[in-house]
Amino acid sequence: MGIQFKQVNFSYTGMQKGYYEAIKDISLSIESKNEFITLVGQTGSGKSTLAQHMNALVFPTSGTLEIFGKKVTSKRDRHIKYNDIRQKVGLVFQFPEYQLFEETVEKDIMFGPLNFHKTEEEAKVLAKKALQMVGLNDNYLNRNPFNLSGGEKKRVSIAGILALDPEVLVLDEPTSGLDPKGKRQLMDLFKSIQEETGKSIIVITHDMDLVYEYAKRVLVLDKGNLVFDGSPEVLFRMNDLSKFHLDYPQTIRVLKGINERFNLSIDIYQKTVHDATAAIKRGLNS
Amino acid sequence: MKNIIIGQYIPGSGFLYKLDPRTKIISVIVLMVAVFLLKSIVQLSIAMGLAILILIAGKISIIRIFRGLKPIFVLLIFTFVFQIFFNKEGALWVDETMTIGFVSITSMVLWTIIWRMLAKFKKFKMILFILYIGGLYLIMKYITYGTIFTTWQFLVYEKGVEMSFFVVIRLLIIITLSTVLTLTTKPTDLTQGIEKLMRPLKVIGISSEDFALIISISLRYIPTILDEANKIMLAQASRGADFAEGKLKDKIKQIISLLVPMFIIAFKRSEDLADAMESRNFVPGRERTRIHDLKLGRLDLLTGLATVLLLAGSILVRIYL
Repeated sequence: MGIQFKQVNFSYTGMQKGYYEAIKDISLSIESKNEFITLVGQTGSGKSTLAQHMNALVFPTSGTLEIFGKKVTSKRDRHIKYNDIRQKVGLVFQFPEYQLFEETVEKDIMFGPLNFHKTEEEAKVLAKKALQMVGLNDNYLNRNPFNLSGGEKKRVSIAGILALDPEVLVLDEPTSGLDPKGKRQLMDLFKSIQEETGKSIIVITHDMDLVYEYAKRVLVLDKGNLVFDGSPEVLFRMNDLSKFHLDYPQTIRVLKGINERFNLSIDIYQKTVHDATAAIKRGLNS
Repeated sequence: MKNIIIGQYIPGSGFLYKLDPRTKIISVIVLMVAVFLLKSIVQLSIAMGLAILILIAGKISIIRIFRGLKPIFVLLIFTFVFQIFFNKEGALWVDETMTIGFVSITSMVLWTIIWRMLAKFKKFKMILFILYIGGLYLIMKYITYGTIFTTWQFLVYEKGVEMSFFVVIRLLIIITLSTVLTLTTKPTDLTQGIEKLMRPLKVIGISSEDFALIISISLRYIPTILDEANKIMLAQASRGADFAEGKLKDKIKQIISLLVPMFIIAFKRSEDLADAMESRNFVPGRERTRIHDLKLGRLDLLTGLATVLLLAGSILVRIYL
């Protein structure tokens, strides 16, 4: 079960240049439980395209993709209800503006469950629950989604997907455009959802600090190729990340700088600021 | 979506690309008028030949134009059939009694099913379609057994056939001409041409600059809005509103879920655009200068002359033939 990519290619066709290969020969497997994956890579490396494959929004140009036992190939199969896949794998888009459309937050969150044949009452309960999960109280239920702040909109749009109760949650750059505190709150939220419900969560991000601190597994895309699949500990211990067009997390860079400047030998692989300061203390004492 | 080339600019290097947009706009309009002056199929065929010559001279692939005509085929076929059925002038060519009965309807249904099953061979789509229509004709003509509900006369007149070809060729020429114009002219050049040509209208209070600005902004935003629409559709599909699946009742709600974000994004974009223009010192109604000013050259003169000659030719043909 879960999601399996087998040599999946996808190219966009254009008028002039023929086509553009967005992802090339991707093979990977994502479990339906207990994963916390971050998907990183340069702009244009195919992250969003890969994410859109995970709930069959786009179909591979070649190769096969198996999502919860349903085979997705380049051709639309009339026997498969692709809509059902989207209930299993929820995808939150980068810009909440693309999905909010109702006059109240409650109705907007109910849109998804109603599409999957839930009754009005069930959908209301789910909406309330989803809104609580993203950390907004019941006062928001009757507010107009267009009058919310950017961060609140984002939370509402995430709640709109959470209300579907998907088994795997995919988020396309949920932290972009948020302040540092908002970013952390959102990542903490995903972490707690993951720990409480055991759902697999896949987050696309550019923020290496968040990757290092939160992820159990990292996928690195470079020009459409999957160049790394493993734990962040292994990734950030690699010598030359610039070949993937990535950077090291702040903690590693700062600690490395301190080591070089003051000729110390502090363990530079610390995930949080708290751990880093503790390591510096230890380093100074010894 | 991707095959529609009407109204799309494709970079190239033929002589048509070097012409001043004003020359092209006026020539196309004049040539269209000239085409409408022609009266017989022979004359139109010559005009069609000339249109193809223009394409060859301008190094534009005919296949490309032909492929771009695909969405209009339905219109062309409709016009063709309409003329054949309803034009009742000239000598009677075909007079057949057609039967509609139980057996013939059943065979027609069967024939349709066979046709739809074969439809997956996309390469032979056109041939299959012609075979299908021919089959329907034969069924109605020859299958006269069983209960017969009604009969009708299939009448084709000389003028009907002539007119149907006439109208279709005329449409083809006109579409080719206008496609050539948009295919070889950048939207910005096109609007600049229109602006210059409409300058005289200032006398009656129409500002050609405003008009040109409106056109160029809308042209500029067509691909952007299409792109946004696509993204919104994907975002809503991820909430279970797949536009390819679902019943009619759900579809209405799905369309609303597409339209509301579209409007909001469009308004937001227009506000942003207004701010961006203002911050670059755009003042409505104020005179603006251009980096590339349009200049008429020798090629334009020649094209203009050729156009005038063609128009004169068709006027003469109209009067004397």
